[in-house]
Amino acid sequence: MIRSVIKRDGRIVLYDQSKIAEAILKSLQATKEGDAADAERIAHAVEHYLIDQGCEDAPPRIEQIQDAVEYELMQRGFDRTAKAYILYRANRTRIREANTSLMRTIDEITNVDARNSDMKRDNANIDGNTAMGSMLQIGTAGAKAYNEAYLLTPEQAKAHREGDIHIHDFDFYSLTTTCTQIDILRLFQGGFSTGHGFLREPQSIQSYAALAAIAIQSNQNDQHGGQSIPNFDYGMAPGVAKSFAKAYTRKLTESLEDLLDRENELDSVKRLVNEASAKTGTTARLEKDEEEFDGAICQLLCENYPITAEQAAHLIERARKRATRQTERDTYQAMEGFVHNLNTMHSRAGAQTPFSSINYGTDTSPEGRMVIRNVLLATDAGLGHGETCIFPIHIFKVKEGVNYNECDPNYDLFKLSMKVSAKRLFPNYVFLDSPFNLQYYKAGHPETEVATMGCRTRVMGNTFDPTREISFGRGNLSFTSINLPRLAILSKGDEKVFYQKLDEMMELVAGQLLDRFEIQAEKHVYNYPFLMGQGVWLDSEKLGINDTVREVLKHGTLSIGFIGLAETLTALYGHHHGESEQMQQKGLEMIRYMRDYCDRKSQETHMNFSLLATPAEGLSGRFIRMDQKRFGSIPGVTDREYYTNSFHIPVWYPISAFDKIQLEAPYHALTNAGHISYVELDGDTANNVEAFESVVRCMHDAGIGYGSINHPVDRDPVCGYVGVIGDVCPRCGRRDGEAISEEKLRELRRLYPGVPTFCGCE
Amino acid sequence: MSAMQRQSIVGKDVSFERIRRITGYLVGTMDKWNNAKKAEERDRVKHGLSKNA
Repeated sequence: MIRSVIKRDGRIVLYDQSKIAEAILKSLQATKEGDAADAERIAHAVEHYLIDQGCEDAPPRIEQIQDAVEYELMQRGFDRTAKAYILYRANRTRIREANTSLMRTIDEITNVDARNSDMKRDNANIDGNTAMGSMLQIGTAGAKAYNEAYLLTPEQAKAHREGDIHIHDFDFYSLTTTCTQIDILRLFQGGFSTGHGFLREPQSIQSYAALAAIAIQSNQNDQHGGQSIPNFDYGMAPGVAKSFAKAYTRKLTESLEDLLDRENELDSVKRLVNEASAKTGTTARLEKDEEEFDGAICQLLCENYPITAEQAAHLIERARKRATRQTERDTYQAMEGFVHNLNTMHSRAGAQTPFSSINYGTDTSPEGRMVIRNVLLATDAGLGHGETCIFPIHIFKVKEGVNYNECDPNYDLFKLSMKVSAKRLFPNYVFLDSPFNLQYYKAGHPETEVATMGCRTRVMGNTFDPTREISFGRGNLSFTSINLPRLAILSKGDEKVFYQKLDEMMELVAGQLLDRFEIQAEKHVYNYPFLMGQGVWLDSEKLGINDTVREVLKHGTLSIGFIGLAETLTALYGHHHGESEQMQQKGLEMIRYMRDYCDRKSQETHMNFSLLATPAEGLSGRFIRMDQKRFGSIPGVTDREYYTNSFHIPVWYPISAFDKIQLEAPYHALTNAGHISYVELDGDTANNVEAFESVVRCMHDAGIGYGSINHPVDRDPVCGYVGVIGDVCPRCGRRDGEAISEEKLRELRRLYPGVPTFCGCE
Repeated sequence: MSAMQRQSIVGKDVSFERIRRITGYLVGTMDKWNNAKKAEERDRVKHGLSKNA
């Protein structure tokens, strides 16, 4: 007789034959091969088998018992049940191992300094050393373990685990979608609710800017990707108009009161302003309908006050001038507050600053121009101690006829943007004249202007609803990237084999994206109180709170990404597309092939499949580590710590800026889910804006979709110097980590206005 | 009061901030970057503005 059993964790418990019978019965029932009596008989036989093995003296382990069950099932001809039992065991083992590895992961999150844990630095925007950052990472680890064990097919799980593909934002697999372009103009009309309270329609540029930050923060909690406003200039312009109208009335009142030596004329002037509005059908506008409106006001003032027409005209002129100045100041402060807000606010359990982006540059109204000018100036000034703002990403929309040429109405702002970017790294540039962007552009319809989700995501075409090829209210649903270099390595130089493997991999990814969509589509409006509840997502305003979001989600995109084109070409053909025209053709062929697949898949499913040039410096490390382990170090392929970003020419390859742009531009046309090209400039470009501009213009002319220029921006927090710092700070002369004396600092403060003050040394 | 503010000499152990762009986003310091990103940043070469750099 067997008395006890050794459990997996080493504990010894009483032997209970009925538990064995129960497990066997479950398998028998699943295959319909037997009943409780069969289960009882097999359990009995298992016990005898174990006794024969000597288990009366030494208690059996769980694994031993399970082996015995398998043996007896097969002996007795319950073949299908034996198979089911084996699968069940394997699955339990997988989950158990996932649990163990989950506990190890949580242990690392809890106890290891983020500086020593690569895993904790995977997302540079989360501080893994803080309480909320760690809590978020623990949640992430738990969700990933669950999603892999329960939501992926074994094939998908294997591909993801082994690095054939990478399912991005995998922790959110069952929860939400990636991103949306938030149309704030529409959102603010009539006010909106954050899910934690209702906000009335804003009435000044300060409130507009504050609410824009709140909108970004609210949406950050409903989706897992970045937040973007596609129409920042158009969206903020009404705030400027409201501020101006108020300032106009106030300044006019004050001038009038001064002239007549009276008090309390505000209500009376307000009445006149309303009357003038009714008469002219316009309001006090910045640089618009001035003659008409001011003329009407002039007449009313003369009728209602003891003043001459000349006096009235003078009052109005002065009021207008002062109101303009006041509005400009207010707008600057509003933009300064907005930028400060986005750099300091926290979201997602307090662990993350929202990944925010704003697009602007094409609104030519005086109000829109004022917004653009001041958001640029506020960014140029930097944060409290002159620090470069990390958020938001600024994206300047470049368009001929609007801001690109000297005769264009916003040319001055385009120039200003380059001066700021040469110092602060933002704005980036999206080029509306590139053919694949221009095809959607309709003048006077800002929603047809391509806007990017800062890191690169782009949504324009719409197979699901071709009448809505717009950027507003849409975004990416999810994306998964393919490890292209691995396919090339496995193909051993055989192009045909490579394309076969690529086909299979794209098919696997497309299926996985659709599976994920099924999960996302079953969510309800109440799962996204802001995104769907406030009508931010296109057509969601037509849904009730308990409706599922399936149909409206189809406006979004399912994207297939890729990384390491350069390494792929090297593995297949011996060199990459920066090295020969022939390789450039091979590269374009390959990416066009992937794009064609996405287009076909879109037609087939009436969903928006698109091709993404994945932003993948982090992922590139994950893929290549696995490939090094598997294939060793292959020169030009696996011999670095990262795979090259999407279709980029490798960062280490010497090439001129102009050649790089020419080579990368054609890939922008193919990657309709998003792309970005970088140019690295040396030295302090703030002192060489002409060079900076020549690169931006080259990008425009070459047909780049989205580009940005990198240059070193260093800052010494002690003396406040911003620019390029080598080993020694050019302003205060200290080395990294060295101290300077208080006297020195006081002396510097006399020389430079931007030296920070610290109360301890005053 | 921060550690920096308490010093009678100023700036001991205070590092320079080096702002770089990675995956499209700016990052204030490279301390929080993972190893692959650090390596990629280290390997970047500058692009000249002449036609044959």
